[in-house]
Formats: sequence, C-alpha cells, structure tokens
Amino acid sequence: MSEDCDDEKVLALLDDEYARAILTATSAEPMSAQTLSERCDASVTTIYRRIDRLKECDLVEEQLQPQPDGNHYKVYASRLESFSVSFEDGEMRADITRAEAEEDVADRFTRMWQDL
Amino acid sequence: MTSLLYWGEVVVAVASVVLGLVIGYQAYRGFRRNDSRSMQYLSLGLIFLTAVPFTLSFVGTLVINFQPDLANLERYLLAASRTIQLVGLGFITYSLYEKP
Repeated sequence: MSEDCDDEKVLALLDDEYARAILTATSAEPMSAQTLSERCDASVTTIYRRIDRLKECDLVEEQLQPQPDGNHYKVYASRLESFSVSFEDGEMRADITRAEAEEDVADRFTRMWQDL
Repeated sequence: MTSLLYWGEVVVAVASVVLGLVIGYQAYRGFRRNDSRSMQYLSLGLIFLTAVPFTLSFVGTLVINFQPDLANLERYLLAASRTIQLVGLGFITYSLYEKP
C-alpha cells in the first residue's frame, strides 16, 4: 500500500465513473488501454489518466503482454477485490482487500539479475 | 556398494539437468517477456553450465559401459564438458555486464 493514498482518496477514486468502469472491466481479465477505451466509452487519454490514479493507490497493476512478434504491449489488471465502509461506534472504517500480487517467476528473475 | 554409488550419481546427474533446465527456461522466458539481452545470455550460460555437460558425461559413461573399448574417449569427454562449462560461465559473466 502506498503511503500517499489514504482511504478517502480511494473513496474519491471510486466515485469516478471511469475509474469504476476500469476496475470492473479489468477484474475479469487484463486489458490494454485501447480496449478499455472502447469498453468504457472514454478517450485513451482519459483511460491513462484514471489508470495513473488507480496505480498510485495500487488498485491496478501493469503487466507486459508478450507477443510472438516481439511487439509486447501493456495491459492493466485490477488488484481491488473489495472495498467496504462501515460506520460503527462513532467511527468510519474502510477495508480494502487487494488481490495477491502475482509476479511471474521469469519477471522476478529478470529483475533480480538486472538489479545485481 | 558400487551400484548404489552409481545410481546415486545417476540421480544427482538427472536432478542437476532438470534443475539447470528449469532455471535456464525461466531465464529464457525472462528474456522473451522483457526483451532482456542479459537474460538471453544468462539462460544460455546456465544451460551450458549444467544441462549440457551433465548430459554429455552421462551419455558418455553409458556408452563406455557398453563399449569398453571406447574407454579412452573418457578424457576427451571430460575435457569437452569442462570446456562447455567454461563457455557457460563466460556467457553468465557477459550477461552481468551486458545492458538489459
């Protein structure tokens, strides 16, 4: 969880129609910004802007989609499983459940080796 | 006792080949997925260092067991294995200095 993203920021983000549409669509399968633009009926610029904000809150992760021809492209996958708010005993409590980050072994290996 | 030692060696050799191939394969996937040249050399290096020499010496030993008159080949096989391992280490060293 990033420090510069508190519960209120997540709430505000969820209030945004496009951010919700991105999270909904990418909860099923990773998608490119281009596909998201069509699914959510928004410009690619809008999609990228929302994705940036979602990434800041660690709600969406970027993945590289390998292609046989070498022209890999970026796809985005939702990491948000659930967000719940409860009001109890004079307090507001927000709970975020994120999907387990699943880094591919080969990607981790590459990162480790290149960081040497 | 000798046969137990022999089978122990076989198991170790096969396990080394399998593990070498697994790591080499993951390095190869890293190269494909991230367009990483250094991972390409690393995967080649790992396979040259592990799977190839083990397979070579294993097959060589097997051949010599069945064809004892080829026993003098053993030295050359050993030399070849060592050379391939050196090439593998060379690849790995190069991959360390090669830009991603």
